[in-house]
Amino acid sequence: MTSARTVSRLSRILALIPYVLERRVAEVDDVLDRFDYTRDQLTRDLNTVFVCGLPGYGPGDLMEAYIDEDDVIIDAADYFTNAPRLSPTEALGLLAAGMTVIGMGEASPALESAVSKLANVAIPDAETALTVDLVDESQNVSRLRDAAAAHRLVRIIYRSVGKEEMTEREIEPWAVFATLGRWYVMGYCRLAEDERTFRVDRIREMNVGTEEFSPPARIPEPVVGYTASADDVVCVIDLYPKAYWVLEYYPVEVIENAQKKTRIRFSAPDPELPARLLLRLGEHARLVKGPEVAARVQQRGEDLLGTYR
Amino acid sequence: MQAVVERVLNLLIYLLESTRPVTAEDVRSTVLGYDAKTDDAFHRMFERDKDVLRRLGVPLKMEALDAWEIDYGYTVDPDEYAIPDPGLTHEERVALSLAARMVRLGGSHAGLDALIKLGGIERSAGLEPMGADLGAEAETLGSLFAAITERRSITFTYRASDRRIEPYGMAHKRGHWYVVGRSQEGERLYRVDRIESLEVAEESGTFEKPAEFDVRSIMDVQPWETGGAPEVEAKVRFEPDVAWWAARTLRMDEPSGELEAVVPVANKDAFIGWILSFGESAEVLGPEELREEIRSRVAEALKGVA
Repeated sequence: MTSARTVSRLSRILALIPYVLERRVAEVDDVLDRFDYTRDQLTRDLNTVFVCGLPGYGPGDLMEAYIDEDDVIIDAADYFTNAPRLSPTEALGLLAAGMTVIGMGEASPALESAVSKLANVAIPDAETALTVDLVDESQNVSRLRDAAAAHRLVRIIYRSVGKEEMTEREIEPWAVFATLGRWYVMGYCRLAEDERTFRVDRIREMNVGTEEFSPPARIPEPVVGYTASADDVVCVIDLYPKAYWVLEYYPVEVIENAQKKTRIRFSAPDPELPARLLLRLGEHARLVKGPEVAARVQQRGEDLLGTYR
Repeated sequence: MQAVVERVLNLLIYLLESTRPVTAEDVRSTVLGYDAKTDDAFHRMFERDKDVLRRLGVPLKMEALDAWEIDYGYTVDPDEYAIPDPGLTHEERVALSLAARMVRLGGSHAGLDALIKLGGIERSAGLEPMGADLGAEAETLGSLFAAITERRSITFTYRASDRRIEPYGMAHKRGHWYVVGRSQEGERLYRVDRIESLEVAEESGTFEKPAEFDVRSIMDVQPWETGGAPEVEAKVRFEPDVAWWAARTLRMDEPSGELEAVVPVANKDAFIGWILSFGESAEVLGPEELREEIRSRVAEALKGVA
């Protein structure tokens, strides 16, 4: 199997040639920008084009391609007047990107018309055959994005994951992103005095302040998902087949995997999260080890039985 | 990599310029880079390069050269090769460039690769603080997308059993990609990351998509709205500390205090799971059968820790 890098290098060459041919001459800076090239990569690809052409492969059979001062020049490549059509993955990637942004309610009219023009050439009845749902029910995403772009301090009332406590925090939002179907805001939390990532759907209220902060020069890669810490509550749970969805929804460690039973280790900042999980799983799971969790299940379970008497 | 890039460029030029189908032997004796190899080495190389052409979006076709279909040749029709011009304006290209920078498909920037073919990425002002990753393996999604647009049936293994479906549409929802189509049992949806050994049929245009099919109406449901069980209407009360949050999920107006809601339930299991995730802060007020199920669920959990 040839690497994806080879394919994308070829793809860029096959797009570059028609672009330059159409203009006869293109500015180097424009080409670097537009095709996401470094100058070295561009030189290397032009040198490659220069040694390829029609069978015979004599001087008159090869394409011409070189940089002359600030210009890229390509000639004798009439067979490459057009770029190749989009691969299905590329067409889907671009359509889905456009649909995602439209779904966030952030779209300009230009994006809507662009997506429908693309759909016209890529997929019949795109509207009913393809959908991307990253809906932000809290309607906070675009406000957080604007605050991040303007470096404005934001005050939030947040319901924590696991502990399920409401806290009021001041955060310096650096980035807003979606992954695994959820929206997150990442930045510096003045309450925790550290970097934190928050789930946007758990922000009950937010207010954008007037104070400006200075973001770091480089925004660290967002970490989503849970990283266990030393003071975590750890328990061991046996899951039966109807509870196997847990394996995909929580960051658990699988200890033993069998067809009828899977034993996992579950870490959480507080016993509340595994306790609630055990209560909702009923007979489809069993706690094997974890006294704090057992106590919490006991307490919460009895409360619930009282409620539902 | 350099040798592959040069060889594939030469092969593509040869195919685009040929006025008749070319055989593997023609390629071997004519195109630079394929000479002086053993038969085996040549065939492996040629197969790999044909695969590269397909991944590039080149419509490589095979044609029988005689009535007995013994010899085959390859063609690339230059008209079919050329990307259709969607006629994008400058503003539309800028908007798409921004969207493609923001949204990734399973770690790949397939959208940016697409824009490069459409004439390049437009520069945008400033750093964009927003991004989204749509997960899943981009190549699999591409194969499914092609099957949907070209009306090809697909076969795959799903939870250890073999399926064959006519795919009508696909959707990204709650962090997962789904493909929806007609199986022998009727219209079904499948999570793409659980699909194994995907095969797309050679033949295209083998089915019609029903005119009333709309993937949005199939996907726009909560977990407890799916499944075939008869519906019950659950009456639920949410305490003020979670009412705002439940209202967002139920797409109701956010209340300032507590919330009482009537929720149609098809999948009781999923619904009870959701209610219990609120702990003491949510209570099912009726019907009694749901309360009974919650009691037995909790009693089972208590047995486990006794």
